[in-house]
Amino acid sequence: MSLVGEERAKNKRGIWGWLNPYHYNLERWAYTFQRVTGVAVLLYLLGHLGDTSFFVGGPTGTGPSSSSWSFIGSIFENSFGHLILVLVVLVLTFHGVNGIRLILSEFGLIMKKPSGIEYPYRPKSLGSVQKSLVWVAIAAAVVAALWTYLVLFEGMG
Amino acid sequence: MSEFKLAVQRFDPLTDAKPRLAEYTVPMREGMTVLDALLYARDYLDHSIALRFSCRQASCGSCGMKINGRPRLACYTQVEELGGEKVVAQPLDNFAIVKDLVTDLESFFTKHKQLMPYVLRSDAQELDHPTAEYLMKPEELKKVLQFTYCIKCGLCTSACPTVAMDVKFPGPQAMAQAYRYLMDERDEGGEKRLEALDTAHGVWRCHFAGSCSFVCPKGVDPALGIQLLRRHVLSGKAPRKQGEGAKVWSAPAGSTK
Repeated sequence: MSLVGEERAKNKRGIWGWLNPYHYNLERWAYTFQRVTGVAVLLYLLGHLGDTSFFVGGPTGTGPSSSSWSFIGSIFENSFGHLILVLVVLVLTFHGVNGIRLILSEFGLIMKKPSGIEYPYRPKSLGSVQKSLVWVAIAAAVVAALWTYLVLFEGMG
Repeated sequence: MSEFKLAVQRFDPLTDAKPRLAEYTVPMREGMTVLDALLYARDYLDHSIALRFSCRQASCGSCGMKINGRPRLACYTQVEELGGEKVVAQPLDNFAIVKDLVTDLESFFTKHKQLMPYVLRSDAQELDHPTAEYLMKPEELKKVLQFTYCIKCGLCTSACPTVAMDVKFPGPQAMAQAYRYLMDERDEGGEKRLEALDTAHGVWRCHFAGSCSFVCPKGVDPALGIQLLRRHVLSGKAPRKQGEGAKVWSAPAGSTK
């Protein structure tokens, strides 16, 4: 029997269901950002390995070309480049601190023990300790990005 | 609010190419649940709405559906608590649609069964011809009690972002029950359970989005079970070996039984 709406009847959310945290909890939002920042960090790392490999031996060294030293350097030596670097710091800090929260949670180190439950139900796994660590990750990312902004744009440090 | 709009996703895979939202105007009354509203619409406005329900008191887990974007039990969600003038009822995500709000939970139950949701014992003779019940200490019961409240409504599995991508992932419900039986004092099949969970699509696919526990209407907290499960899987050590499970109750000396 063929169904007219066979594809839609499968009702699989796929990548959108995976990434969309709308209507859900704080940890689900952190999950989405952790995944997105993970990909962003990986892409940055690949680019970073690429551009630092041009610096082998410095401006007079044996890199692919000595003129590439100033070329690569010039990519980030402008307002747009600096903005990218601020974003990189934001993303890296969130991913790192939130990653520590996930390690602690996923190995049960900051999980409460199961017990009898009483109405109204409040899931122990979404308790205050790890929830506040999500906010610590957000705060750390914002502070680090602000500091980077001040260093790059206002010449501090 | 004397009346409100109820939008119901209508979709019959036999005849429709894609789902559409049908809107009904339902009179409000105090304490009205979304299930009440759906039944009003079905009884008085459109007899063809397909939905599944049974107990109306959050015991059976039949009326799980997506209400205003989040998986909930229709009988356990009051229209008033949703705030706003419109209630949108859609079938649960990640389960095949049979018709309208009715989803096919077969894959869900299959995965539940695959992780052996029953006590495994080495004393076959006692299982086949029981002489008495296995004894369980109250403090041991507390370790698993909350997980036994699962009504298999499918909300957690529908909410899980990993389930949306990975068809082989057992889902939060099945894994929480795996933890429930792993920790059960009477169970002796721990090693078998850990083996079933330690696969590429097993316990490691959970990344703790916590949505399962967030939507659970019974306080089961599947995410807690999965995170606690992970340590056991990592160490590979079952809480009990064969023959170490709870013993059968035997009458104290001098009692009449």
